[in-house]
Amino acid sequence: MDLKIRALNRFGLGARIGERDSDADPRAWLRRQVERGSQTIHGPELEVVAKTLIDLREAQRSQDRSRLMQVNRAINDIQRGEVAAMLTQRVTTDAPFVERLVGFWSNHLCVSAMAKRQVSALAGHYERTVIRPHVLGRFSDMVMASAKHPAMLYYLDNLQSVGPGSQAGTQTARRGRARGLNENYARELMELHTLGVDGGYTQEDVEQLARILTGWTVAGVGPGTRTGEQIGFTFRPVTHEPGTKTLLGRQYRRAGVREGEQAIRDLCAHPATAAFVAEKLVQHFVADVPPMGAVARIARVFQETEGDLREVSMALIDLDEAWSPEHRKFRTPQDWLVAVFRAVHGRQAPQQMAQFLRQLRHTPWAPSAPKGYGDTKREWADPDSLMNRAELARTLAGQMAGRGDLDPRRLLDVVDIADGDPLRTLLADRSIPVPERMALAVGGPAFQWR
Amino acid sequence: MHRRTFVRGMCYGGLATFALPVARFAQVPGDGRMVFVLLRGGFDGLSALVPVGDPDYASVRDRMAYGRDDLTMIGDDFGLAPGLSSWKSLWDDDELVALHAMAIPFRTRSHFAGQAILETGLARPDGSSDGWLNRLLQIMDGERSGIAVAAGMPRSLSGTHPVTTWSPAELGVVDDSYVERLTMLYRSDPELHDPFEAALQMKDIAPDMGNGGMGGRRARPGRITPIMQAAAKFLREPGGPNVAALEFSGWDTHANQGLAGGQLDRLLGQLSEGVLALRREMQDDWANTTVVIMTEFGRTARPNGTQGTDHGTAGAGFIIGPNVAKSAVISDWPGLSERSLYESRDLKPTLDTRSVLKGVVAGVFDLTAGQADRVFPGSADARGLWDLMR
Repeated sequence: MDLKIRALNRFGLGARIGERDSDADPRAWLRRQVERGSQTIHGPELEVVAKTLIDLREAQRSQDRSRLMQVNRAINDIQRGEVAAMLTQRVTTDAPFVERLVGFWSNHLCVSAMAKRQVSALAGHYERTVIRPHVLGRFSDMVMASAKHPAMLYYLDNLQSVGPGSQAGTQTARRGRARGLNENYARELMELHTLGVDGGYTQEDVEQLARILTGWTVAGVGPGTRTGEQIGFTFRPVTHEPGTKTLLGRQYRRAGVREGEQAIRDLCAHPATAAFVAEKLVQHFVADVPPMGAVARIARVFQETEGDLREVSMALIDLDEAWSPEHRKFRTPQDWLVAVFRAVHGRQAPQQMAQFLRQLRHTPWAPSAPKGYGDTKREWADPDSLMNRAELARTLAGQMAGRGDLDPRRLLDVVDIADGDPLRTLLADRSIPVPERMALAVGGPAFQWR
Repeated sequence: MHRRTFVRGMCYGGLATFALPVARFAQVPGDGRMVFVLLRGGFDGLSALVPVGDPDYASVRDRMAYGRDDLTMIGDDFGLAPGLSSWKSLWDDDELVALHAMAIPFRTRSHFAGQAILETGLARPDGSSDGWLNRLLQIMDGERSGIAVAAGMPRSLSGTHPVTTWSPAELGVVDDSYVERLTMLYRSDPELHDPFEAALQMKDIAPDMGNGGMGGRRARPGRITPIMQAAAKFLREPGGPNVAALEFSGWDTHANQGLAGGQLDRLLGQLSEGVLALRREMQDDWANTTVVIMTEFGRTARPNGTQGTDHGTAGAGFIIGPNVAKSAVISDWPGLSERSLYESRDLKPTLDTRSVLKGVVAGVFDLTAGQADRVFPGSADARGLWDLMR
C-alpha cells in the first residue's frame, strides 16, 4: 500500500501531481508540520470588522436603505476576502496536515454566517485568531478564546443573556421590560464543544452554566454599550447573575468573570470531553465508524496531556488504523474542491470557489446548525451530491485544461487506485478530449475518497 | 440524455440490496403518497398553533402573546398564527389536523438527539439505526421508493431500502459520453455505485427550475415553495416515489422571535404558502397525498430573556391532506399553569409522535396495525391513532 498517498490525501488536503515521488518518510513529513506549528494568516483587525457592525446597527436603526446597502457591501467585502484567504491557504499550503486541523477545529467550534449577519463579518477573524493559533496548543485555551470572541457571543446569543437577579435584570424587571437568560450557548458549550450530548449534564446544569456566563458580552456593540467603547469581549458585572452556582456538582462562588473561566477549564478537563473529542478526531482521520481502540488511545493522550493538541495530533499520526487500507474517508465538498486545485498546483483559490462551495452546500463558516458540517459519507455521498460533483468536475476541467499542456494521465498520481482500474485506460485514451479525461479523473469515484 | 422511466429499483445506502435483482410483486399497493416535512431547529408550536383559549396563555407568554384577534381560530381554543392563516381553506375543506402537546418519546433538549429520535422512530438514541421512512419502505408491500428533496440524505430516509435525493442545483453541462464513462467508473466502486445510478435517473425527470446551465444559477435554496413544487413533480411521476422527505431549517428562535410579521411568523408564512403550492401542483393526485409536519421539540412556555424561546419539550405538528378523517385539533391539552408545565418550564407532552405517525402510515399505505407498529420498533406503549385517517 502506498503510505505516501495516504499521508497526502488522508492527513493532508490532497496530493499534488509529482508530490508522491518525494523521498520523505510519510510520518516524518507529517510530524515536521506539527513541529513547525500553525501559520498565521493576515486579515482585517477586529476594530475594522467591528466598525461595520456599528454601522450595521446604526443603519438598521435609521432604516436608511442606501446606508444599509453600503454596510452590507462592506460586510460582503470582508467576508469574501476572508474566505478567499482561507481557501488560498488550503490550496497552497505546504503544511496541509496543520490546515486540515484548522478546518477540523473550526468546524468543531463553529460559528455560522447563516444564523446572523454579524457572524458573516466576524467568522474569518474568528478562525484566524481563535482557532488557528491554538490548533497545536491547549484545547481549553481554544475553547476559552472561542467563548470570548464576538463571533461566538453573537452566534449563540450569549451576548444578550442577562442574569435575572443581576442589577440590570432587576432594574428592567421593575420597568416591566424584563431581560433575562438565554441558555443557547451554555447548552452547546457542553453538548457540542466539550462533554458531548451523553456527557452526563442535566437541564439544571445548562441553566446554572447560563447563569455563570451572564455578563460575557461584546463591548461597543452588545447591550449596555456606551458610545466610544472599544470593540471586543467584556465582562459586565451589572448583567452577571449574583450568588453561588452549582455545575456538575461543583460550586462556583461569586467570582465574576472567573466563574465562567473556571467552568470552561473544568468542562475541558472532564473525562467526557476527552472521550467526545477523541471520537470526533478519529472519525475525521480514520473512519466514519471510529475504531474503539483508536478512540481510547487518543482520549488517553488528550486526558494525560491535559488537552495538549500538539501531543494529540502526534498521536493521530501514530494510529495504525489511520494507515490501514481497511478504512477510507469520503471527501467533504470543501475537501474535494481544495484537492482538485491542489492536484494541479493551484497558486490561489479561484474567485468562483466560494460560489462553487455554496452550490455544493458547503459554504465556509455557514453550517445550518451549531453542530457544524457533517464529517461522514452519510451526509455527503447522496445521489444528488455525487451528480453535482460530476457536473462541476466537467466545468472545472475545462478551466484546468485551458491552462496548459497537462497530460491527463498525470492525475493518476493523486489517487489511490489498483493496477487494473478502468480510470487508467480512460485517461490514456486519446480519442477522449483532454478536458473530459480530466473531469473523469476528479469527478470519478477514486477522487472522492481520502 | 434521453428520458428514462422512473425505476423503483434504485439502490442506495446499503449493501444489502446491492446486486440483487429488482424485486417485483404482483400486487400493486395503493396510490398513497406521503410527504414528511421536518422543521429542523425546534419550531415554537405555541406561536404557530396558539392556545389562546388557555387561561394562562397570555400571562405565560407575556409580551410574546398573541391576542385572539391576531389569529385565525380553528375551534374555540386554538388559533393559527397570522403566517398560517391561509390554511383556513384547508381547515374548511376537512384537510387539516393540528396536533399539540406532542413530543418525541425521549426527553432531550438537544437538537441532534431530538432529531435522531424523530428520524429513526426509536424510543432511545441509536447511533446506527435506519430512518423510520426507510423502515416503512422495507415493510410496505409491492414496489415502492422514497426521495429526499433536500440538501443531502436526511437520517429519516436513510437505510437499506433504495432511496434517492434531489435538489435544485445544476453545476455544469455534461454530455452523454462523459456521463456514460463516469457511470462505468462508478460501477467499480461498491459504495458509490448505487447512489450514482440513482442520481442518473433523477437527472432525467428533474423539474425545470429555470437553471441557466454553466455556473449553475439555481432556485434559491432555503425557500420552501420551490422545494414543495419539485417534490410534487417527483411524486406525480408515473411510478414515482411513495414517500418524500423534506426539511427546512431556521426554526431555532432563541432571540427576537417576534409576533405577526416577525422572524418566526414570516417562516410560517413560507411554510403555509409552500404546502398550498404542493397541493396545487399535485393536481388530481392530491387526493392521495398526505403531508406530515413535525419538529424535534417544542420551545419553552415562557419567553427567555432575549425575546425568544429556548429548547423545550412538547410542541405542535400538522397532518394535511384530503385523507385525514376530518379537520381537527388533536390534543390532550395539559395546560400552561405553573403546575402543569413539564419541569416548570415546557409544555408537557401528552401525545407521542409515534402514535400519530403510526396512524398516518397505516391510513396512507393501508398497513395493518402490526405493520405500522413494526415501522416504530419498541412503540407498543404508544398506541397508534388508527382513526386519524380515513
